[in-house]
Formats: sequence, structure tokens, C-alpha cells
Amino acid sequence: MDVLTKNFSLYGKGFLGTVELTVYASAVALALGFLMAAFRVSPVGSFRALGTVWVNVLRNTPLTLLFFAVLLGLPRFGLVLPFKLFAVIALGCYTSAFICEALRSGINTVPTGQGEAARSLGMTFSQTLSAVVLPQAFRSVIPPVGSTLIALAKNSAIAGAFSVTELLGTYKTLSELGYDIIWTFIWIAVGYLIITLTISAVFNLMEKYWGVAR
Amino acid sequence: MAVDPLIELRDVNKYYGKLHVLQDINLTVGRGEVVVVIGPSGSGKSTLCRTMNRLEAIESGSISIDGQPLPEEGKGLAALRAEVGMVFQSFNLFAHRTVLANVSLAQIKVRGRKKEEADQRSRELLDRVGLASQADKLPAQLSGGQQQRVAIARALAMSPKVMLFDEPTSALDPEMINEVLEVMQQLARDGMTMVVVTHEMGFARSAANRVVFMADGKIVEDRTPDDFFTNPHSDRAKDFLSKILKH
Repeated sequence: MDVLTKNFSLYGKGFLGTVELTVYASAVALALGFLMAAFRVSPVGSFRALGTVWVNVLRNTPLTLLFFAVLLGLPRFGLVLPFKLFAVIALGCYTSAFICEALRSGINTVPTGQGEAARSLGMTFSQTLSAVVLPQAFRSVIPPVGSTLIALAKNSAIAGAFSVTELLGTYKTLSELGYDIIWTFIWIAVGYLIITLTISAVFNLMEKYWGVAR
Repeated sequence: MAVDPLIELRDVNKYYGKLHVLQDINLTVGRGEVVVVIGPSGSGKSTLCRTMNRLEAIESGSISIDGQPLPEEGKGLAALRAEVGMVFQSFNLFAHRTVLANVSLAQIKVRGRKKEEADQRSRELLDRVGLASQADKLPAQLSGGQQQRVAIARALAMSPKVMLFDEPTSALDPEMINEVLEVMQQLARDGMTMVVVTHEMGFARSAANRVVFMADGKIVEDRTPDDFFTNPHSDRAKDFLSKILKH
């Protein structure tokens, strides 16, 4: 029990590290996922191809491999950044593939006729997407996007293996100090639960607010 | 009779895979003309209607609206579509916006009107189609006939040069068909150029300047309604008319 109280600052640093990774990587994932989803439904063939390749490569690569590729690969091309930033890039790009597919399935729930009606009125592709299709798609993608971001929060643990400060990584220090491994992990689990349950709660609220307006 | 051509299709061909859905279509619609397109299902009449604002791309031939060839995808095409109103079989109202917002949306986004200005015009148009009192409802709260009249108002809000109707009454209960046809009759009387794909022979007789009969991707007959209904030339048209006019 006293493993938490005596090492509060260590836990706190790890917790904040995971929160930071989650928030930044989520922002990257949402932005890129949104862009790629727009690419995948675009009338321009080369955009569609780019979106498809992006999703298939990232979704089908093990995340650990992707971390290796980013952390060890990019410096070879002269791109040297803090490890934390690399971790955000790897996590964000990986998760963007899942966000893209969730958004696209939401877009597919909007009847094609509505897009046609918008275009027949002279609205451009981006106007059609932003004013007609996405607001309706948004409602049906709240739950899957929530799940994806929860997965992202947990996946951030891999960054610990690349010496980025995050929650799971604190166990190494604590077990070296001789603390009971069970309690160490229980408090780590509680830390993750705080983050993931917060994400759940936010998405539940969003679903309540927007999900039923149809 | 088409002195001032508004829509011109020249040697238009379209395929769905191997299926040759439009075969060497030549059609001219004059300004102020009402052209009704009829024919059996699968004859290509809806596809023909949808090529006129490039919701369907064509493989060969040319289509021009008011002297301008239809542009490829992009801003030019969007600008041209704003001049060509379209009404769909399934209404296609924006389900997440009110009736008023449905009519105002493109005025604001495409024509750049202020919201108040757009809403005022929307209310006038809704009044014209008899739905002023429904402005604040969602589309799902209206009957099919009402939804279709909103869709007509929405298309009219752009002040289009021509209106395309793709089977506007085919998804409606019989008792709601008339309320939509009446709005269309009024439009025709006001001099709107219209291309109407329909099975409503009564509308064709009373409102059309010309009837275009299509079968198997070709235009088989293109004549005045009186001429066509009393004295069809082709066997295909005789057969079609005998089936639909019997009861």
C-alpha cells in the first residue's frame, strides 16, 4: 500500500507522461485520421490511393515494429527528435489508421443521396463533406473513436520500452527498489483506469449530447 | 422548335461495365421548354437525367449547359451545378437540419448570402410550395409529399436555369403525388426549363412541350405529347403505352 504514498512523485511523473503521450498522440491521430478519411472518399483517384496505402501499411504493422522504425529509422535520414516526440509520431500515425476507418464507416452510414443532393446544389467536395456528410457521420462514430483512443492510451505503454517516461515504465524503478510487484502493478493499473475511464466518460457524454439528435 | 438551346447533348455514350446504358444520345432542350422523359425501367432515362449535371460521368460525347461544356470535377463543375437544380426520387433532404436550414444551406455556402437573407428567401419559397408552417421541423417529421416539395424549394433557392426531376413522384403514396405535380405544373407555367423523368402520363400530357421516349439506352421517339400518345410510331412505344394506359 505504501508503495504509492512513498513514491508519489515517481508515479505522478509516469502518470503525467502517459497523459501527455495520450493527449498529443490523440490529437495527431484525430487530425491525420480525419485527413485520411477525407482522402479515402475523395473524387480524386491519387488521394484515394494514398489514403488506402496509409491505412493498410499502418494498420497492419505491429506497433512495436513501428516504434523501432520511427525511433531507429528516422534518425538515419537525419531526423533527430526527442524520443517523446518520436513516440507521439509513431502512436499518432498508427492510431490514425483506425480513426480513419471508423470515420469512413460513419461516412458510409450517411445515404449517398444526401451527398449527391449537396453536390447538385453546387456545393464543393469539402463543403459537402463538412456541412452535410460529417455532421451526420460524426454521431455514429463517437463510440468506435472512443474505443480507439482508449486503445491508444494503453498502447502508449510501449513507449516506456524506448525510455520515454510513462506510467508502466515506473515498475522497473520500483521493483529495483524492492517493492511488492503486485501492489506496484495494481497502482499502475489504477493509473491507466483513471485515464481510460475519463476517455469513456467524455465519449459517453458526447454520445448523450449528439448521438440522439436525429 | 428549340430556338434557344439551354441543354445540348451530342453523341453521348455511357457504360456501366459492359452494359451500354446510353447509346449515341442526341438531345436539345430549349430555354423554357418542358421535356418529359419516359420509358421502361432500365431504359437509361434516370442515367440520362443524372449525366446532365455530371452526377454520372459519360464515356464519350459532349454535354453543354447554356453554351458551356460541362467541366470536369472541381470548382467549375460545382459552379455549374448551382445553375442546374435537381430533384431526386428519394428527396435526399439533409436529415440533420431543419426544413428551413435545408433550403438555406446552399444559398449560404454557394451563393454567399447572409443567413437572414437566405432564410427570408427560403421562407418565401416554402410559402410558394405551401409549407411555410413546417419551416422549423426536421425532414423526418414531414410526409413524403411534403419532403419532396421542400426538395423542390431547396433546388429553386439557387435560382437555377433549369430543373432536373428524376422520378420525383415514384417514391410517394398515390394521394401525395398530386401535391408535388401541382408544384411542378406551376413551375412549368412560370416558364422554368424542366427535364422530367416520370411515369406520370397525365403530367406529360398537360405540362410537357415534348415527350422523349427511351428504350434500351436509346432515344426512340422525341415528339409533342399529343402526337406521341395518340400516334406512337415505334412498336416499342406502342407496346409500352398499351401496358401503362390500359387501366
